[in-house]
Amino acid sequence: MSQSVNVMELAACPECDLLLNPLQAAVGEKAHCPRCGYLLQRPSKQSIEKTLALSIAGLMLMLPANLLPLVGIKVLGTSHDGTLWSGVFTLFTEGMWAVAVLVFLSSMLFPLLNVVLSLLVSFYLHFNKPNKYLAHWMRWLQHLQEWAMLEVYMLGIIVACVKLTSMSEVKFGLGLYAFIALIVVTGMLASNLDEHLFWQHIRRLTSKS
Amino acid sequence: MKTNLNVNALSLGLVRCHDCGRLSKVNVPHCPICNGHLHPRKPKSLQRTTALLLSSYALYLPANVFPIMTVTRLGSGEPHTIIGGIIALIDSGMMPIALLVLVASILVPMVKLLGLSLLVFSVQFRWPINARLATIVYRIIAFVGRWSMLDIFMITILVSLVNLGGVAQVIAGPAATAFACVVVLTMFAATSFDPRLIWDNPNAYE
Repeated sequence: MSQSVNVMELAACPECDLLLNPLQAAVGEKAHCPRCGYLLQRPSKQSIEKTLALSIAGLMLMLPANLLPLVGIKVLGTSHDGTLWSGVFTLFTEGMWAVAVLVFLSSMLFPLLNVVLSLLVSFYLHFNKPNKYLAHWMRWLQHLQEWAMLEVYMLGIIVACVKLTSMSEVKFGLGLYAFIALIVVTGMLASNLDEHLFWQHIRRLTSKS
Repeated sequence: MKTNLNVNALSLGLVRCHDCGRLSKVNVPHCPICNGHLHPRKPKSLQRTTALLLSSYALYLPANVFPIMTVTRLGSGEPHTIIGGIIALIDSGMMPIALLVLVASILVPMVKLLGLSLLVFSVQFRWPINARLATIVYRIIAFVGRWSMLDIFMITILVSLVNLGGVAQVIAGPAATAFACVVVLTMFAATSFDPRLIWDNPNAYE
């Protein structure tokens, strides 16, 4: 079995298990599985550096997006503001703790973890520092992405505002602008992250140490 | 070494790491790169998916029958179900938004439940299906799942904003918990289903 080392360098499609040649897509190209059409790799230019920059931007937006009012209403002279946190809090005090926990996780904790993990992984990869937790962070990052739902929350805000216009005056808060910017940044983070490249670097760093 | 063989990695005794994509020999328990557990296919994929689907079906009924929120205006309360909320939107002339909510809260969960059930059946009973098409169906189901949270987020915002005591108040109803569970359980069901099982089916064609 002189070819056994070579065989390990091959790849397989995660959705149909087709054995594939090692992935070598260039920047701007897309590699699809020839059998099931799965998007295997979409390399982007300077993926690590962009991830580092975007995650720092995301971290700065996190605080205003979470604490400043997103939308407010004005009924009979009294005005009410709503933040990400106040929604979770009100649900909790009404006894809907299960929904409150789910909303807290998907709109506050997981987006934060997503940005923090992106920052940690890209920081260590950019400065070529090995860390024994790199693979753990990367794995968590991959699993969390689906559960951070800021863009779905945005759609919820739009529908809620449409429903409210019939009964009161709706005004947008400063937090909403930070929130929209955060959605743009996390969207760019997700589309820039070249998982294949990241794992290659993690493999190189962990085998060195 | 070029491979243009139309062959599964597993048939050559190779297992792909779920997380980092590295291939290992089939009897290696942990990935040498990322130390993740290695399985040829997701463990107990069909059993887990079936169990999660059955729970979702059970909760789908209360989610649609009970009120998802109660709107109180000047003392008189008015409970809304998911469908009631959509009808209220149509009545006030908000067709596009009504359609959006209809797709996110009614169609998406239904398509997910039925689609995943069909996929499980096709694998379990080795139906002769188009594997490529089935994989695309799976991909769509996995992608759209999170958008059902729309209704839950909308209620969260309404509950925190419309909190004006006797004048106007929105209170979340019992269906909100049931619906949230349906969304989460179907998302777990989609992740626990292994699409490679579709291709393992000897009766499937491309």
